[in-house]
Amino acid sequence: MSQIAAGGGPSPGAPATVAVGGRVRDISWWRTPTARRYLFGYTLLAPAVLYVALLVGIPFVFSLYLAVSDASVGVPVARFVGLENFKAALENSAFWTAVRNTVVFTLGAGIMKGLLGTALAFLLIQPFKGRRVVRALVVIPFTLPIAVSVLGWKWMFDSQFSVINWALSRLNLIGAYGSPEWPVWLGQPALALFSVMFVNVWRGFPFSAIVLMAGMTSIPPEIIDAGKVDGATFLQRFRKIIVPMIAPILFIGSAFDTVFTLSDLSIVYLLTNGGPDGATEILPTLAYNTGIKAGALGRGAAISLSLFPLLLPLMILLLRTLRRRQY
Amino acid sequence: MLDPRFSSERPHVSRRGFLRLTGAGVAGGALVTMLDARKAPAQLKGTSLRILMWSHFVPAYDTWLDDFAKRWGEKTGVKVRMDHIPHLELPARYAAEFAAGAGHDLIYFVGQILTGQYYRNLVDLSDLAEGLAKKYGAWMPASKSAGQVGGAWYGVPDFFISIPVLWRKDLLESVGVNNPDTWDDLRKAARLLKPKGHPTGMQFSHCNDANHNWRSLLYCFGGKETDPSGQNLTLDSKETREALRFAKALYDEGMTPEVFSWDDASDNRYLASGVACWVHDAISAFRTTQDTNPKVFEQTYVLPEAKGPVARLNMGEPNVWAIWKFSKNVPAAKEFIQTIADHQKEAMEASRGYNMPFLKNQYTKPMPGLGGDAKLSALQEQDKITVFFGYPGPMTPAAQEVLTTFIVPDMFTRVARGADIEETMKWGMGETRRIYTKHKAG
Amino acid sequence: MATVAVATPYRAPRTERAKSIRRHVLIYLGLVPFLALAVFPIFWMLVTALKQEPDLYRMDVVPFWFHLPPTWKNFDFLFHRTSYGDWIINTMAIAFWVSAITLLTAVPAGYALARLRLPFAENLGIGIFMTYLVPGIILFLPLARVVSTLELQDSWWSLVAVYPTITIPFCTWLLMGFFKTVPFEIEEAAMVDGCGQLGALLRVVLPVSWPGLITAVIFSFTLSMQDFLYALAFVSVSDQKPVPLGVATELIRGDVYFWGSLMAGALLVGVPVAIVYNLFLDKFISGITGAAIK
Repeated sequence: MSQIAAGGGPSPGAPATVAVGGRVRDISWWRTPTARRYLFGYTLLAPAVLYVALLVGIPFVFSLYLAVSDASVGVPVARFVGLENFKAALENSAFWTAVRNTVVFTLGAGIMKGLLGTALAFLLIQPFKGRRVVRALVVIPFTLPIAVSVLGWKWMFDSQFSVINWALSRLNLIGAYGSPEWPVWLGQPALALFSVMFVNVWRGFPFSAIVLMAGMTSIPPEIIDAGKVDGATFLQRFRKIIVPMIAPILFIGSAFDTVFTLSDLSIVYLLTNGGPDGATEILPTLAYNTGIKAGALGRGAAISLSLFPLLLPLMILLLRTLRRRQY
Repeated sequence: MLDPRFSSERPHVSRRGFLRLTGAGVAGGALVTMLDARKAPAQLKGTSLRILMWSHFVPAYDTWLDDFAKRWGEKTGVKVRMDHIPHLELPARYAAEFAAGAGHDLIYFVGQILTGQYYRNLVDLSDLAEGLAKKYGAWMPASKSAGQVGGAWYGVPDFFISIPVLWRKDLLESVGVNNPDTWDDLRKAARLLKPKGHPTGMQFSHCNDANHNWRSLLYCFGGKETDPSGQNLTLDSKETREALRFAKALYDEGMTPEVFSWDDASDNRYLASGVACWVHDAISAFRTTQDTNPKVFEQTYVLPEAKGPVARLNMGEPNVWAIWKFSKNVPAAKEFIQTIADHQKEAMEASRGYNMPFLKNQYTKPMPGLGGDAKLSALQEQDKITVFFGYPGPMTPAAQEVLTTFIVPDMFTRVARGADIEETMKWGMGETRRIYTKHKAG
Repeated sequence: MATVAVATPYRAPRTERAKSIRRHVLIYLGLVPFLALAVFPIFWMLVTALKQEPDLYRMDVVPFWFHLPPTWKNFDFLFHRTSYGDWIINTMAIAFWVSAITLLTAVPAGYALARLRLPFAENLGIGIFMTYLVPGIILFLPLARVVSTLELQDSWWSLVAVYPTITIPFCTWLLMGFFKTVPFEIEEAAMVDGCGQLGALLRVVLPVSWPGLITAVIFSFTLSMQDFLYALAFVSVSDQKPVPLGVATELIRGDVYFWGSLMAGALLVGVPVAIVYNLFLDKFISGITGAAIK
């Protein structure tokens, strides 16, 4: 029994010595409990791994092939062109604009979601009347499908009929319609990028709040009380105790969120389609427009894979570090 | 009452209801007779046909088309299924169908002409196209490149869309611009009307209309994308710079910054809301205004295209039929194309003047939908001033990629935002050259 | 925070009630901006959904309320002139089946990675993230081939086949974290009682983990409703579309947006989902807590 609870068994291949029925016997490795555990484990893993390997892994290899070929949508088998597509991408100023926008978008939105999420999580872990109702309401942005909520925002940001502008201008915070102080949310480059980030944050901050709430509630109250007894102020408690304890979950949540954001083209596609002169063009939309709409599959694949070499080591580093911090 | 805009995707309308809906009582009757008259080949009976179409900007047309297809199916014994998706999503769908090797039988290219991309996998339709030319007069010369690759027809043009100028008579006359005719007239009108709260607007963004509007302006000023062979870039010219300069002046004097966020629908709304003094937009805006703001509509008139210093040219948007090679029912698809072409007149009527034909004889007056309308009758000459992207070269895959990556609108946008013209030209030429080089190599 | 009441002898004692009121007021004040941010767009969508069309395009009146009387026309249009009813059913059906498939694959996988100390477990855990870096815009092409080989093209079942690629990795990670929090003793006790490892999993570990399972289901639900690209590529038949695709393709006709119906369509799909979330929110949160602690 302790075989299972304790650390790993003997390595595969080596004949094992097992106590069976009181007598010590040599049996082949395949019959050991370890092997049985491995077999069981890999059998359990198989469906998931197979699913993902077949439907994601193989297409991934295919996309690698595309990135080094001059394939177009009409020509399935194409010539190998080496790193030509990547070179073309690097020389294209639209690519660098997209990279810049992608970084700004992901980082900016991520930070905002972290901040808003933390503040909201903090409020939501307090006991108060009506907490259930508030929690239910605040989660709504996250529950609506992206496509529909983005279209709602599109109407709210409309250059003529924006209800936000209407309200702000009645409050005399901005100019009247037609004046230069009337913000055209989706038409002025800086505002456009802000607007798409805003929608992403609007959708995402409830999720961040929930994840952080989960993290915060898992902090044992004794530690916080110890901090109080030691005379730490609220801010100090927050910074020195709470933040480090929720850091792991903050990082994991951010990692997933980053990855989801980096591959999501819906918000930009539906709001601005790359925006006024590329101001909101991010790598997924650029890849989509080049690869699918214009048909240059090879170049589209190269663009969409371009962040991969950067992100892969980062992710690995992040996850390894996190794992070590646990113990 | 039944709002003609709200077309039904599932036609549960009786025949009489349908006729009332499109207001085409006589045409409908003629349709039925004509369908009866033409004998369908026997071997089509019992087969099925899947058609993928765009969602027409005039919903009434889709109602007509769906019903037409249903009746055709009943007549020929073919089970027809027609699917509509927005035109912007068609390229993605085609890429998927091609990758899958399965999908619809009969497909449709709108604006983004993908004949050059997919021709290896499309059925050769030369016999069909030549037959139509024999029957209905020659194809518009500019249209051939939409369907032909290397002399053979892989697509059959259906109709094109014109994007004329829609202007407010009351507003323009109030500042002394009667009967605007040139781009300078339009600029003057916008300049005088903007302070009165009636600016104009043309999209400076990544949308279909932006591609069309700015190319029309460019061509009117003498700018050319390539030489007639389509192989050599001639965009870098004095005329192009003139066009850019004009656009900047037009923006500064007559527009507001909101045009940078506009999409294909924004100028429709601008006109219908009564604000715009003129827009450069398709007839769908005309119809939208007719339906939602009758007061404004009364004062709205149509100018086929404004004249520039060099020419009067309007960039049209071609629509082309094509058949996948992997289709299991090529004969039925061909038959359908033929039948639709035979009923071009009904189609034009149903589109409320939106669809413009490609075949010469379809221009005999009066044209359905246009001939009877005093405001729209000038559009009957539209074929004389219509050209397509890539002008004066053909619609090559390279020109197509320039179209889908919005290089021309981006150039105009940059200049309007204050960028130096030379810088912008350099950028635009760089991007365009890259694309053409790549297509030459491939 | 309120669990420890530290008595400070330096101040005049306040009543608990006054303190509670003050705390409530502060909290409510803090919450107002968040609630406004989250809820106002929904309110706005509701108002827009009930407005008549000419009422939308006016700039001279207050847009937050009605000037022409509210109408059900947009909802009516949704249900009678488009296949919205079908879309909702499709969306729910897709979400259901995708959740089922996800549970069937991610639960064993998460358990295996969490408990069985397999070699490569840690790397597989990292590899899970990587699947999300594979660009979806390229993925959909080979997947189109798969879909057509399975003859699922233009049916919503094609999405049931494809969406698990999005949900399985994330839910595996989630469940992995969650299973790690289940104490070993429970399993051992079960095995002492004679279940095999599998039996222990089924009879003991799963029932205890049901918050984690709920969380995985909720995420599957949400993730399967987000997609737009795959639906576009694989489904073109109107009555087979899920809501996001249907709304974006049939309520926008080129240059005409049917805003009223768009908003109505958006809201109606949100309602069942919000209800589901509501019912399970507490479990959902404890599910994530479990995963977070690892």
